[in-house]
Amino acid sequence: MSSSLLVWRLLRQHVSIGQLAGFFFANLLGMLIVLLSLQFYEDVVPAFSGEDGVMKNTYIILSKHISAASTLGGEAQTFTEADIRDLEGQGFTQRVGAFTASQYQVYGSLSMGGMGVGTDMFFESVPDVFVDVQWPTVAPEIVPIILPRSYLAIYNFGFAQTRSLPKLSEGVVSMIQLDLRLRGEGGVERHMKGQVVGFSTRLNTVLVPESFMRRSNQELAPTAAAAPTRLIVEVKNPADDAIARYVQERGYELEDNSLEAGRATYFLKVVSAIVMGVGLLISVLSFYILMLSIFLLVQKNADKLQNLVLIGYSPARVSRPYQLLTVGLNALVLLLSFVLLFWIRGLYLDRLWEMFPTLVEGPVAMTVLIGFALFVIVSFSNIVAIRRKINRLTPRSPKTFKRGLYSTLNGN
Amino acid sequence: MNTIALNNTLPRVFRNRSDIQSDIWHQDVTLERGHLYLVEAASGTGKSSLCSYLIGYRQDYDGTISFDGRDIREMCTYDWTVARQRSLSTMFQELRLFPELTAWENVQIKNQLTHHKNDAELRGWFDRLGIGDKCNVKLAHMSIGQQQRVALIRALCQPFDFLLADEPVSHLDDENSQVLGELMMEEVRRQGAGAIITSIGHHMHLPYDSTFKL
Repeated sequence: MSSSLLVWRLLRQHVSIGQLAGFFFANLLGMLIVLLSLQFYEDVVPAFSGEDGVMKNTYIILSKHISAASTLGGEAQTFTEADIRDLEGQGFTQRVGAFTASQYQVYGSLSMGGMGVGTDMFFESVPDVFVDVQWPTVAPEIVPIILPRSYLAIYNFGFAQTRSLPKLSEGVVSMIQLDLRLRGEGGVERHMKGQVVGFSTRLNTVLVPESFMRRSNQELAPTAAAAPTRLIVEVKNPADDAIARYVQERGYELEDNSLEAGRATYFLKVVSAIVMGVGLLISVLSFYILMLSIFLLVQKNADKLQNLVLIGYSPARVSRPYQLLTVGLNALVLLLSFVLLFWIRGLYLDRLWEMFPTLVEGPVAMTVLIGFALFVIVSFSNIVAIRRKINRLTPRSPKTFKRGLYSTLNGN
Repeated sequence: MNTIALNNTLPRVFRNRSDIQSDIWHQDVTLERGHLYLVEAASGTGKSSLCSYLIGYRQDYDGTISFDGRDIREMCTYDWTVARQRSLSTMFQELRLFPELTAWENVQIKNQLTHHKNDAELRGWFDRLGIGDKCNVKLAHMSIGQQQRVALIRALCQPFDFLLADEPVSHLDDENSQVLGELMMEEVRRQGAGAIITSIGHHMHLPYDSTFKL
């Protein structure tokens, strides 16, 4: 039998399985709560923050309020240069872009199996920096278009349903080419093809590339100059109260619920932080349980530890069994936390996917990293604390002498 | 380690006493490697204190104690660990054995640290001391006299310059004391070491170089 085994046989005396089990479950609970709150946050935030693919969630869209009075009075609903400059000067603003509308008539039609559908429509564009996707390069005579996702929903659930027309998926729509007829000043007409290249939940318009808009407006409506009716604004923090105040003061309207999403995200952040705090607190308490248990163990085995040191074992060597015990327990806790975490995550992801079918699960790297970091911090503290405790027990330093060892000595 | 020197050393508990008459306390004494010393002590003269000072267990004394001229108060934990493994072996009066382990394991726990003796040598020693049949007996089930012999074997399985034996034969009859003394001196001579043996009366008859009255 090796000396390490013999030492362990001595020092495992008085090991309390009950205390260690108490620590184990407390630490497991703490660790699991911390990791789960973190992972849940990572997984759920995209659902709330409305990640769109086309538009960042730090963008908001502003328009002027349309009231009965303004409609009748012919009041301008457009933004002036001064309005835009003022907006740019606000603390929450990152940058401002204007929506440019087509100054000509657009008629789009679609023929499917001999059956034709057509409608009057319009185009808008925003500066390219505000569009998160790269406009795909299609043939020059084809116009790439981004449609609001709600249009497709209206067609599928409202129109197609009642007329026994086939429902269309995003994929199918992207394959169909539209026939476009653009009619400008003086009856100039141009025929083009259009192709849907993407859908946006948040942009409520038929979006085309800025370059196409500039060119077509120039060609078809060279004299028209239009002030923008809508602005797209990149803000630093969509949850900022100043935005809501400013919008209200100016009588502007926020086009979508990005602020609410921002608030929900913020709220989620706060709740996650609180839950994580509770988890950390439990972890800290469990750490104390372990330390108390180990200290009690060391105290109960003080004679054996002293004897081992006096026959030539180093304090480091006799500390090792207890250090390995705690690190082993911590590693087991970490492992089990990960197993439980991924199991629970599987359960809630299924539920989330029922609610948000397009939800993309968040990354796990951060959670795993935090788990390991906690393991390292706790284990390191354990190792240091045990070593210090045993150093204090082992003879030699005058401090030890004062701490009551004198009574254990038999002086002749 | 070649010398252990005590200079004007006195346990602090004796600080206020003026009647100290001792060959050790308040004296300058140098103990040399290769020599055999007997320290005779009456009860209450500080024998256990002396042993505790020499093995670095306590420091509640005035004056200085030094190993090869180095004040032992300056030795750190690591220095003491090294000294206890290689230079200074102790047979404790209170034995400091482990009752949970067998006699054999009590010796192995030291020998596996130092790898100083092989199993055959150790078996030979157990047999010579008349406890060959007790190897696998838990220490708790052995008599004090038998335990004393196990403690000696444990003290001998390491290299040392000095062997400190605190009342090594207090629970042994003359015959067993003789055998134990012979075995001890064999190993001390083989290593060219010094030995400091304490006694409160009953002691082994060995060719001591000096005898100190504590």
